[in-house]
Amino acid sequence: MSADVELNNVSVTFGSFYAAKSVNVKINGGEFFSFLGPSGCGKTTLLRAISGFQDPSEGSVLIDNKDMFGIGPNKRPTSLIFQNLALFPLMSVSENIAFSLEVRGVSKKDRQKRADELLELIALEGQGEKKVHQLSGGQKQRVAIARALAVEPKVLLLDEPLSALDLKLRQRMRTELREIQKRVNITFIYITHDQGEALTMSDRIAVMNEGEIEQIGPCDEVYNNPLTPFVATFVGENNPLFGKVKEINQNKVRIETPDGDFLSTMNENKKLNIGDEAIAFVRPESLFIPRDGDNFDNQIEVNIESFEFEGNIKNFYATLKSGTRIKFSIPNAIDTSSISSGTKLQLGFESIKSSILPKAQLAID
Amino acid sequence: MKPTYFINFMMGMYIFIFFAYLFGPLIVMSITAFNSAEFPSISPWECFSFRWFNEGKIAYDGQHLAGLLSDWRLHDGIISSLIIGAGVVSLSVPIGMAAAIVLTQVRSQLRDIYYSISIMPVLFPGVIIGISTVVLWDRIAGLGGDGFISDVGRNGIFLTILAQTCFISTYCFLIFVARLQRFDQTQEEAALDLGATQTQVFFKILVPYLMPAIASAAVIAFLFSFENYNTTVFSILSDQTLTTVIASKVRLGISPALSALALTIIALTIIAAVTYEILRRRSEKKYAQSQEIFVKEKAASGRINKEYKAGFKVPKGIVAILLVLVFATYGATQIVKNDLYGQSCIDAADKEKKSKFLEQLQTLESNELTEEELSGGSLGGTEDYGDIFGDPSLFQDFGGFD
Repeated sequence: MSADVELNNVSVTFGSFYAAKSVNVKINGGEFFSFLGPSGCGKTTLLRAISGFQDPSEGSVLIDNKDMFGIGPNKRPTSLIFQNLALFPLMSVSENIAFSLEVRGVSKKDRQKRADELLELIALEGQGEKKVHQLSGGQKQRVAIARALAVEPKVLLLDEPLSALDLKLRQRMRTELREIQKRVNITFIYITHDQGEALTMSDRIAVMNEGEIEQIGPCDEVYNNPLTPFVATFVGENNPLFGKVKEINQNKVRIETPDGDFLSTMNENKKLNIGDEAIAFVRPESLFIPRDGDNFDNQIEVNIESFEFEGNIKNFYATLKSGTRIKFSIPNAIDTSSISSGTKLQLGFESIKSSILPKAQLAID
Repeated sequence: MKPTYFINFMMGMYIFIFFAYLFGPLIVMSITAFNSAEFPSISPWECFSFRWFNEGKIAYDGQHLAGLLSDWRLHDGIISSLIIGAGVVSLSVPIGMAAAIVLTQVRSQLRDIYYSISIMPVLFPGVIIGISTVVLWDRIAGLGGDGFISDVGRNGIFLTILAQTCFISTYCFLIFVARLQRFDQTQEEAALDLGATQTQVFFKILVPYLMPAIASAAVIAFLFSFENYNTTVFSILSDQTLTTVIASKVRLGISPALSALALTIIALTIIAAVTYEILRRRSEKKYAQSQEIFVKEKAASGRINKEYKAGFKVPKGIVAILLVLVFATYGATQIVKNDLYGQSCIDAADKEKKSKFLEQLQTLESNELTEEELSGGSLGGTEDYGDIFGDPSLFQDFGGFD
């Protein structure tokens, strides 16, 4: 059982401060939806508005087409998984999981049965008698999920639940979360500042900045066709090239920068005119060292400053003629041992892998 | 002499003096409880005796110098102290808890004002709290004629419970505030989110969390109530608590029975503290063991995965305490039953005193005074003392000064 969640023009204010501003989003039943944004962008506030801890100052929250205004968190068909998990330390694992049934007056036998079912779902069979402090980080995580699922909510809300885990565990939990979501088939609304998490797990994501939604869409669309410079630089890494629009040919735009002219692709929703101030973005993995026979739309001359070895890729930091810093990544499979600091290189990138947007605030400012 | 030796020596001296200062009086007083003499003293040492724990002493003149077990005023005092203590605990713990919970809900500047008001009763002199309670309830009692209100308003135990609760609930408040500061409020939110009502959140999440604070607040409230004097002495009216009984005894003449009482209280305190400490260590050990098992289960490599034996552990500490208690009780009963608490020594001492008295009497008789000496002699007095000193039969019924 899953439910649609709709935020209609939702604003939440604290005094004169807008924690969330005119948020409009419709989340479909059974969808894995993520709100992605930096700390303090208002995503937790939105989650609290959906779960009922905070009624919106304006607008309405609809769950299953029903206005939730004034309905407390204990009466909504939502379950929230807290950032710190908020497991009850004085109760055993089973008691934690069955808490929502206990407060609804379900008999002890049925509670135990349901707890055992859920322990099986999260692969912790036979560990129900343990205390919470006897579990490892990943197990606690799974217990928190089981506890939230015990009453079969229609919507599961997750508030950065993976942020306290180490990298390996986080990667495994991503997969597990996704699998659990497919198995129970309810709406997951996930909040994170980690774009990797959002991209790997979600069906759709909404990128937020300063209380407003910048872009909503499927992961690849948000990554490949960002709507704002903020999205372009917050989701994944991007090299901005500042300049003026010189020439427009359908969706191909030529931009004039201090480091030369580049051909880039314009998003159809973001119209540009000749002479506009604009930024062309090119991702580090889209910059290539041309080999014989390669013919790129754009050529760019760089001076290598430093590099770092990340394992699967090698990151290079370089400066352009104007002094603009740029980053590019080469897969480790390619031999780059001849490149060191001070090396001058000619790089190339395709116009289709570059997007151009009107000048606005970047995430890295 | 190296300077470090000197510093160590000074340090040792300091520690010795510090502890002597702290425990010296208690040790001296504890010893006086075993001296059979009527006034608590170490020297002259009369006889080693348990009588001040038991029935005390019947003096030669028939005056009963009560021991700990035979003093009905002490007993009544202890009983009313216990009743008052229970009343104070059952009032001040809920009041303190409620006040502390409200503090967590109040934001803004109001919070500081609220906090200041809440802790104010601690700053009032206890005497004022006592007097004002009596004055207020005297008014209230005067309203209702001779009925129930009048009885309640002039009941010392009731008034003392109210008066003590005034400031003891503040101590409870502080204990709860300290515990609540470490409370993770997302737990409440999590419970709410899982469908619990506010009442359920309170009883299933908050109260279990506050249990240690409730226990320590109850103990502290009881102890504060039990030892309180300055408020109680006014609000108790015609009743008596342990402290007021002791105070009145001190005024009328101190007896070793009080030393015996003090020693008993000290012993009970030490037993309670040791028991608590042993229980605490046991639970800590248990926790450490469970953590160890957890780590060993988690450890993939055999490096730290040594064989772990979860054998049956006898709770040594508790067994030891129980044994000591059983033997001590049994021994004390036997001593009292068989008059083994120094009766022969006391009899001998009494005999000696009596013989000394007889000697004195004989000396007095052999140095009979002349009429002139009795009428003041060279001192110039004119009163006639002959009737007192001349009549030996006057002392026949008097046991003597001892």
